[in-house]
Amino acid sequence: MSHLHIPDGILPPALWIAGLVLTALGLAWSGPAAARGGPRLIAYQSALGGIMLAVMALPVPITAFDYCMTLAGPVGVLLGAAPMFQVSFVVTLILALLGQGGFTVVGLNTLVLGLGAMLARPVYLKSVRGLGPARAVALATATSQLVSTLGWVLVLLLSVRLTPDLAGEHEIARGLVRGIHGVGAAIVLAMLLAAVAIESLLGYGLARFLARVRPDLLPSPSATRGAAPGGPSLHEAHPSGRT
Amino acid sequence: MNNTFAQIDHLASAGDSPWHRSSALTKLLLVLTYVTLAVVTPSWGVLVALLVTLVAMCVSARAPLRLMFAAAATPFLFALIFAAAHVSTDWDEPLVLFARPMVASLAAVWLVITTPYPDLFAPLSRVLPRGIGDGLFLTYRAVFALYARVERMGSTLRLRGAMARPMRDRFALLGEAVGTVVLSGFDRSQRLYQTMQLRGHSGRICGCRHYLEFSRDDFWVCLAIAWAGVVSVTLWHVRAR
Repeated sequence: MSHLHIPDGILPPALWIAGLVLTALGLAWSGPAAARGGPRLIAYQSALGGIMLAVMALPVPITAFDYCMTLAGPVGVLLGAAPMFQVSFVVTLILALLGQGGFTVVGLNTLVLGLGAMLARPVYLKSVRGLGPARAVALATATSQLVSTLGWVLVLLLSVRLTPDLAGEHEIARGLVRGIHGVGAAIVLAMLLAAVAIESLLGYGLARFLARVRPDLLPSPSATRGAAPGGPSLHEAHPSGRT
Repeated sequence: MNNTFAQIDHLASAGDSPWHRSSALTKLLLVLTYVTLAVVTPSWGVLVALLVTLVAMCVSARAPLRLMFAAAATPFLFALIFAAAHVSTDWDEPLVLFARPMVASLAAVWLVITTPYPDLFAPLSRVLPRGIGDGLFLTYRAVFALYARVERMGSTLRLRGAMARPMRDRFALLGEAVGTVVLSGFDRSQRLYQTMQLRGHSGRICGCRHYLEFSRDDFWVCLAIAWAGVVSVTLWHVRAR
């Protein structure tokens, strides 16, 4: 559901300007942290960003709907917080250039997509010893999706608060609006929960596969202490350069 | 979406309209102007005029109708939530809420189908932090290679009946399949890194400077910017109230 990007011209300026400022601060924070990973990290970030964009194009049939994945949670686990924020910005900017999500709201869309994904690795590292890699990634993905979803709902609520004259003065019309919003909220909530479940199952399958064939790509709690944001997997894998 | 990526890339590179021949910088300025006007104007008249202008620009740039429709329709669901909250206000409020994102989306589509990505990203990468600028180029390039893999993977899963299995199995299997793409992405990133090292990557991918090459065709872009200014001044007060 974090894939439902907010378009231009709907949200009040105070909100999207704040989003742009916060994102600029986030990029300023993540820049030096990600730069320590060097060109290898940039290449890895770009490959995973490309996968996010490519996977978003793959519709998965669920009854009458097609669901589009984001992979933000698993990518957040693989990359870590700072590089993930940068990837979220790049993906959001490319989507905005394709007309999916707006230019003015690139900041908010980045925050909605990125903040959840940034939590994925800490959650994974906290839980991997007890749950094992597959379940830990599923938990990290669920947390990431829930935070993104909460961010999305928060943006909606703030925009309703900050928009003047919303719902007008007429009682019947106000009741109608409330009804539409009630039904809409019920539908949206069900879709959001389905999205969390789907992404978690995807993360579970992905981590199960990686743990089997390339466990070095998944971060380990002991090796991550003091490591660069790319994670030990990126820097320690294949010292010989073999891929 | 990736077919859209490929289609857009082809249109941007192979197109030969005056829009394609004008510089990326003036086109970025045009999009900035149109999006700013769309976001700030309270007038449905201005928005309709901008919308009609952008449709004409997209058609003259030979944009496929499907692409235009997709861009215009994408923000509808989100706009609908807000339009529903405006049913009791003036009739033009919901119209404005639908038209604003349509103007912005069509402007974006016009920009990307008339500007090859190195020209488009080069000026953006100069104002963005170094890692982000490089990421823009490399991510866009990566999409094409990885999508072919994702598409093959999707076909394989469908043909082998993975999509017909119970929901829980279906997504776990899909996750495993995506794992192969992640591995491929990792291998790709290693090759890319080695290529960057071999080519003497200096810490920044510098896009070409074509985006600064102004031509006679920039006149049309400037005219479109001026037209937006004229309709904004003339129609700013066209509102329901």
